[in-house]
Amino acid sequence: MSSALLEQVTARTRWRRWLYRGLGAAAAVGLLAVLGVLIPLDWVTTLSAVFMYILLAESWNILGGYAGYLNFGMVTFFGVGAYTAGVLCTQYNVHPLLTIPLAGVMATVVALLVGVPALRLRGVYFAILTLIISFLTQVLVTNLDITGGASGIYMPSLPFDPFTNEQIFYYAFLGLMLLAVLLAFIIERSRFGYALVAIREDEDPAEILGVHTTWLKTQALLLGAFLAGVAGAIYAFHTSYIEPQGTFSLDISIDVVLMSLVGGLGTWQGPVIGVPLMLVTAQVLRILAGELPFLGSTIPPEFDRVVFGIILILVALLAPYGVMGLVRRVRGRRLTV
Amino acid sequence: MLTTISLSLLVQALINGLLLGLVYTLISLGLSLTLGIMGVVNVAHSTLIMLGSYLALELLQRLGLDPIISAVIAVPVFFLIGVLLERLLISRVARTSQTTGLLVLFGVLVVIEGAAILRWTTDTQVLSVSYTNASLTLAGIAIAVPRLIAAAIALVLVWLLDTFLRSTLYGKAIRAMAQNRDAARISGIDTDRLSLLVFGLATATAGVGGVVLAMIFPFDPQDHYRWLAWAFLVVVIGGLGSIRNTLLAGLLIGLIETVSSVLFPFQYVYFIVYLLLVVALLVRGQGLAGSQSRAL
Repeated sequence: MSSALLEQVTARTRWRRWLYRGLGAAAAVGLLAVLGVLIPLDWVTTLSAVFMYILLAESWNILGGYAGYLNFGMVTFFGVGAYTAGVLCTQYNVHPLLTIPLAGVMATVVALLVGVPALRLRGVYFAILTLIISFLTQVLVTNLDITGGASGIYMPSLPFDPFTNEQIFYYAFLGLMLLAVLLAFIIERSRFGYALVAIREDEDPAEILGVHTTWLKTQALLLGAFLAGVAGAIYAFHTSYIEPQGTFSLDISIDVVLMSLVGGLGTWQGPVIGVPLMLVTAQVLRILAGELPFLGSTIPPEFDRVVFGIILILVALLAPYGVMGLVRRVRGRRLTV
Repeated sequence: MLTTISLSLLVQALINGLLLGLVYTLISLGLSLTLGIMGVVNVAHSTLIMLGSYLALELLQRLGLDPIISAVIAVPVFFLIGVLLERLLISRVARTSQTTGLLVLFGVLVVIEGAAILRWTTDTQVLSVSYTNASLTLAGIAIAVPRLIAAAIALVLVWLLDTFLRSTLYGKAIRAMAQNRDAARISGIDTDRLSLLVFGLATATAGVGGVVLAMIFPFDPQDHYRWLAWAFLVVVIGGLGSIRNTLLAGLLIGLIETVSSVLFPFQYVYFIVYLLLVVALLVRGQGLAGSQSRAL
């Protein structure tokens, strides 16, 4: 067979594979879009939470997954976004729709102020620093007057009936999630993505080979912070009440890391797999907790945190590349990149 | 008149700060040991401290044991917990990257915190014994008796550990291991068994630290992050490899806490310590790692 013919054949199969992928993605998106008007209210709410966490996990994944910088304070950007929307909306009468991009901008500014110096640190020290910064922000928000202190902020509600309301948030989170997934998909195939992976694999040689590590890490952080800030703003309008304990909860930071890890760090599919898996697990555990008697007494619903912790330990030790790692191993592909 | 009052207030704050500083040294020692000798960043350290507080609570409520006795009981109990943790998890973690270790230890943190909430709920607890509200007054300066006892226990433990590491053969072997693990192995030191010992000792100091903290402060299953931050601050400022430097850093943090709580409203103490930790990490964090990689 001549090489020209071979090239033609491979090009055609490649083209066909992309076509199938595109059709599959379009079908999935179409299905999710139709579901928004078909399924009952509580399912709409549950799926909105799934979309929000996928959005957060994809934003976290840009720096955490591809570049290997574990940010244990993702909730900082999320909370800053939520509070920016809250403060602007209730105290400065800014239109709610306008507060959402502004929240993203504010989160980016915070990322620039605290994250960029933090990026001078590597490995575990970066992780600890981001953790402490989320505590610091929480203390600050609890004690400032403008944020309403510990008593929080009541958000204005949208002028629709409850079901329409939920549907609006469903589509808002769905749209943003798709954007974030698409972004991750593109990053994974771009020079930017390759450079981030180079930073994860070995930062010093990457720098020597001409990768602008500092600038790239900063971009990855700011991008993630912007998306998390936007997510926070929409979350604020969705829950209609924000206060420092819940909005800056460490649980959110840990869940985002755990969900990305379970799905597979540094892959665009990771959060898409990990988030529903973990949220379904949590839901099942809560249902089981109500029914299963355990050593003569019923299990309190909070025990899902313990199970989450055990999953975190097991996945980190036994399957550090998550579900995607297992999938790739089955397919016989390489584990990374 | 006013100046004498504020002066005695200041002296009181200084003494309280030094007493607290001894306790902070104790709760930071474990973190410093595991990081300096094994290269493991134990973020679950503070949950072990929290468990120590609940051990004291259980022993007091069930058996009526004084926290001073609980502090002694905590040593073997938490040494065993540490040995188990090392065998089950840390020995596996030590062979992987530091970030994998961090993820695993975050998992341990979540499990212990979740289990503590299930067992003891999120209610705030206090240890109340006969001397809880007692205080000694000397030249117009009042010192709370529980703080005095807590500081004394901490001092004894810090001194014991320092002596152990400096003057015994085991201590020498551990220090050799901190300097160069491979060279220590070649010289015939069983580093795996010593890791077990080090992690056991680190966990024991956390347990006793929890008991003595419970004598001074109210506690609940979720406020241990505060102690994690405090301990990290002591470790970052004190550096690795010297208990005396850890002691100096611990005393400094104790002083900073009490003096700033005289000057500012209570809630700003958290803010100040977190901010100090951010600055200290930025200035010294990587230096800490650097000196560690040189030592290892």
